Amino acid sequence: MKAIAAAGTGKNETRSFRMQAFLEGWSLFYENIVGRIGLYLLILFGLMALASYIPPLIDPMYHPMTGVDPDISYASAPSWRHWLGTDNIGRDIFTQLLTGARVAFLVGISAAFISIVIGTLLGMIAGYGGRVLDSVLMRFADMIMVMPSLLVILLLSVLFGQLSIWIIVMLIALFRWPAVARVIRSQTLSLKQRPFIDMARVAGASHVRILFRHILPNVLPMALLYMTFRVTSAIIVEAALAFLGFGDPNTVSWGMMLQWVWKTGHMFQAPWWLLPPGICISLITLAFYMMGRAMEEVLDPRLRKTKGPDYAAS
Amino acid sequence: MNSRFYLEFLKVAAVPLFMAAVLFFASCAEHADDGILRLGLMEEPRTTNIWLASDANSRKLISLVYQPLYTYDPDSLELTPWLAASMPEYDPDTQSYTVRLRDAKWSDGTRLTADDVVFTVELIQRFRVPRYYSQWRFVERTEAVDERTVRFFLEEPKAIFLTRTLVNYVVPKSQWEPIAEAAGQRQKPLAALLNTEIEAPLGSGPFVLAEWRKGAYIHLKKNDHFFGSGVEVSGRRLGPHADEVLFKVYGTADVAVLGLKKDEIDFLWMSIQPGYIDGLEANPHTTVYLSDRSALYYMGFNVRREPFSDPAFRRAVNVLIDKDFIIDRVLQGYAAHMDSIVPTENVFWHADGLPEYARGLSREDRIRKAWRVLSEEGYTWQRPPVDENGEVAAPSRIILPDGTPMADFSILTPPADYDPARATCGVIIQEWLKDLGIPASSRPMAFGALLQRVKDRHEFDAFILGYGQLSLDPDYLRSFFHSENDRPGGWNMSGYNNEAFDRLADESVMAMDTQRRRDLILEMQRIVMEDVPYIPLYNPSAVEAVGKKRFEGWEEMIDGIGNIWSLTRVAPLEE
Amino acid sequence: MNLKKLLLRRIIEIFVVFYIIMTILFLLFHLAPGDPVSMMVDLTLTPEDVALLVAQLGLDQPLWLQYLYYIKNFFTGNFGTSFHYGRPVIEIIGQRLPPTLLLFTTATVLAAVAGIWWGKLIAWYKGKPVDTGVTIFALVCNTLFLPWIALLFIWFFAFRIGWFPLSGMMTPEIWVNPAAGFLAKAGDVLHHMLLPLMTLFVVNTGAYLLIMRSSMLETLREDYILTARAKGLTERQVRNRHAAPNASLPVVTSVGLSLAFSVNGGALTETVFSWPGIGRELIFAVSNADYPLAMASFLFIALVVLVANLIVDILYAYLDPRISYE
Repeated sequence: MKAIAAAGTGKNETRSFRMQAFLEGWSLFYENIVGRIGLYLLILFGLMALASYIPPLIDPMYHPMTGVDPDISYASAPSWRHWLGTDNIGRDIFTQLLTGARVAFLVGISAAFISIVIGTLLGMIAGYGGRVLDSVLMRFADMIMVMPSLLVILLLSVLFGQLSIWIIVMLIALFRWPAVARVIRSQTLSLKQRPFIDMARVAGASHVRILFRHILPNVLPMALLYMTFRVTSAIIVEAALAFLGFGDPNTVSWGMMLQWVWKTGHMFQAPWWLLPPGICISLITLAFYMMGRAMEEVLDPRLRKTKGPDYAAS
Repeated sequence: MNSRFYLEFLKVAAVPLFMAAVLFFASCAEHADDGILRLGLMEEPRTTNIWLASDANSRKLISLVYQPLYTYDPDSLELTPWLAASMPEYDPDTQSYTVRLRDAKWSDGTRLTADDVVFTVELIQRFRVPRYYSQWRFVERTEAVDERTVRFFLEEPKAIFLTRTLVNYVVPKSQWEPIAEAAGQRQKPLAALLNTEIEAPLGSGPFVLAEWRKGAYIHLKKNDHFFGSGVEVSGRRLGPHADEVLFKVYGTADVAVLGLKKDEIDFLWMSIQPGYIDGLEANPHTTVYLSDRSALYYMGFNVRREPFSDPAFRRAVNVLIDKDFIIDRVLQGYAAHMDSIVPTENVFWHADGLPEYARGLSREDRIRKAWRVLSEEGYTWQRPPVDENGEVAAPSRIILPDGTPMADFSILTPPADYDPARATCGVIIQEWLKDLGIPASSRPMAFGALLQRVKDRHEFDAFILGYGQLSLDPDYLRSFFHSENDRPGGWNMSGYNNEAFDRLADESVMAMDTQRRRDLILEMQRIVMEDVPYIPLYNPSAVEAVGKKRFEGWEEMIDGIGNIWSLTRVAPLEE
Repeated sequence: MNLKKLLLRRIIEIFVVFYIIMTILFLLFHLAPGDPVSMMVDLTLTPEDVALLVAQLGLDQPLWLQYLYYIKNFFTGNFGTSFHYGRPVIEIIGQRLPPTLLLFTTATVLAAVAGIWWGKLIAWYKGKPVDTGVTIFALVCNTLFLPWIALLFIWFFAFRIGWFPLSGMMTPEIWVNPAAGFLAKAGDVLHHMLLPLMTLFVVNTGAYLLIMRSSMLETLREDYILTARAKGLTERQVRNRHAAPNASLPVVTSVGLSLAFSVNGGALTETVFSWPGIGRELIFAVSNADYPLAMASFLFIALVVLVANLIVDILYAYLDPRISYE
């Protein structure tokens, strides 16, 4: 490591410095038991998501949405053929559970990513742009923050007909950026005072260049940290929406599975159908949440005070 | 150190625990009186205002309070006098019906007279009360011959007068006249009438409203002036035998079923999902009643559009749909097969011997049959669903007779939370249609939006809808398929247009001879099932559950045991 | 900037935000397809009936006129008549708001108090196994999927062992019994409240505990704690008198900030427990296209959240004199 740093040019130096920082952070992270549990859980869910492609190849009856067991047309208890039993029309619950992991990752990560992009951009612009722009954007963020997002999305879903999973993802993202924007803004505000920004400006860098070349790299770790928390809330909102019957009916998500077990009256009669999706939703949110907490401690132990606690209760 | 820590840790936990303990012992005293009949509902009724009450739950409440002139006999399903003393007498010369009333009273003890009946009809006609007006509009004049005799003069002969019009409720003039007068003065009289709050509805039914605590429960007491107490009607001696009725509202079906098992209610007044049956049958205190329904769940096409305008295409789709699969799988076997728009259970009006399309065929045979039907009409495929060897294969997109590939289309269904069965049917049918290269996709959407697209704007290709309670009289055939109802907001949502059908339908309305009318109705069904603008899918059974511990004597009838006969006849168990 | 000025500015802000929300809601409801009349699947309802109903409900007027009426009516306290219930909206909200406030104020206060208390204690054991254990437990509780765990609780506590009522807010048998006194009735409502309360407590306390723990650790590094220790105070005194009051400030803010999210959870909790509150009514009104009721419930919820945030801000300023505004 030292050799590379010594031999390298300026650019390589920063890269190796970042590499080193990353490795240090990683060992710190890995020491943290909370982070480790979260990581293991996530790997488990990741494997589940990957494995979800296998069962339909074995037999079409393992297709999560349309495959039904030719001999079973009722909610059957776990067996060798169906490890977690079947739902009321003979679909395999284990397959649905695996597919649910895929959907959860998809929903969680894409919604979180979009909200982070929006939040970071607006946060930087607000922090960098100053007075008027700042207060308009932040008031706007405040307004969105006081909206009960689940209810608003539910309202839209009822008003405009069943929403597809991608629209749900977009909507979740649109309601989840303000907290990110706030944090990024305050970071940008403090970065703005640093000498290297002034130097860049004197050197004739454009605003866009300053924002993306000098500010963005510095706020990026924070944005990534927030992403793990956004993932949790996105998964929960999608699950709650689906549970209430407003999800995308063409998608097999865990919330959808709960909706099915609820609406078909098997709630308290088919524990093999009721328990797994609920446990999975709870555990995957826990996993991301734990990762986030551990990362947070690695990035900045003092961060805890300024972080918006909104992710906690969502 | 550590023990101290745990001690302090527990201190704060002690507060909720203590509260829980206190309250647990404080409120263990919830025992129902023997005479209280407890009914479970899924949602709170809307209103006690009879003219606003269009939802199922309000209608349940209303049915215990207001009474009609005639009702249906639970066995024969024939018209039976209720508030009326005898069957109506028809005078063909004046086209009038004369109805004699029983010696019935309102719950305040005043007499229910012919004036009340006349007032009810005139109120409906004056305000054009939605839902009621269409049934009374052809009644030219209503006349009180004497205190207990009413005469209805019809503009023209109408077959539905007996079976549809006369089963409507009668309201008291004494309570409604001032309300109607006040509403009539307003700028929007109908809205004023509908939005009048009726805190204490004056009725003539077995029970009278005592208290409605919004969001919690509805309490009714026995009406001492009910005409039926101890009277025998249609061979059944009426009660009521319960002193009080309590409606309890459970927000979710699961909890309502638990409530039934926990003996919180005696009857869950709604049709529940078949999934609950096993658990309820296994419980020693509850039992399940299965009843036929007069219902229609169907897939409809927009026959205004290509290629749905082609009857052959619709027939092919009908062939591809495995109705028995839907009934066995999606409805767990708790539904009846339908081969006509009129349910088979409606014995008198149902037409026998209609085409069964592909009933009983295997999936491969369905595909072959549908492929033959379509090939004959000029539909082609680049890669057909049946190859040279007669084997079924995955096809390419279907090409219409005019040479263009068929565009993607949606099957609109209600959302899964509204009705999981219909939403699931949409998905399954979509897969079946793909076997023939028909690019369908199921699209559940909110109920209001769906109806608006299908009924008002006609912007759709296909949909799955249902009527949970079709009237026994098959007049709905005309509503669904007569070309005059093909207009925005009209019930001919498919846009079906057939002159021969229209002629028969018009004749059936005027046919006062039942046998003649029946022949017409059967012929109408034949025409419709040949053209299949609607594909009837299934007729679900009513699954209802009761507690066996406290009341007995439920009366089974089409559409379930939640009928006026049951509620006036159930009696507390003798111990 | 002093407190009075701040208050004034915040109230103006609330008005502006509220007005924008109102307008957005109005547009959403009126531009969306589907109206209350088209929801009625009733074969006896003819197109003429529908046209008459639409006219009587005032839905046939031009949009801008409806909007003006809506704004005017709203600020004169007329929230319209519910399409569904046929009764004034304000009356229905008046019935639904108190149960919601009762349940959620109690739940929030209990969770916050317990979170502060436990968080304070646990911070003392940073790094010890008990700290890790409690942290993980708190995280697990906090991430439980609310409606799911609520249903499991109903099944276990209310049905299986029967400690609590299944759902709702009252036992009708007690309320219709003329012999039942006030105490019995109040006890009955409390009894119904316990299970939803417990559910919310389990799910929410963890979050407050963790915030309190972090904030406590932060505070313990402050100079005045060192001074307090130097004065020879016992650890207990330092913790309870000096560190805890300041450390609990972030919990108070988080209560305010998480209110909007509590409303989400609240609607779910109310739905599952059939608690006759405003969240459940809102879901119901929305699915029935009951515009006046849905809009008004939504606005009331938004108002409650806005006002609660204001109260939290004031509380914060009051609790922490170091806070300066701008």
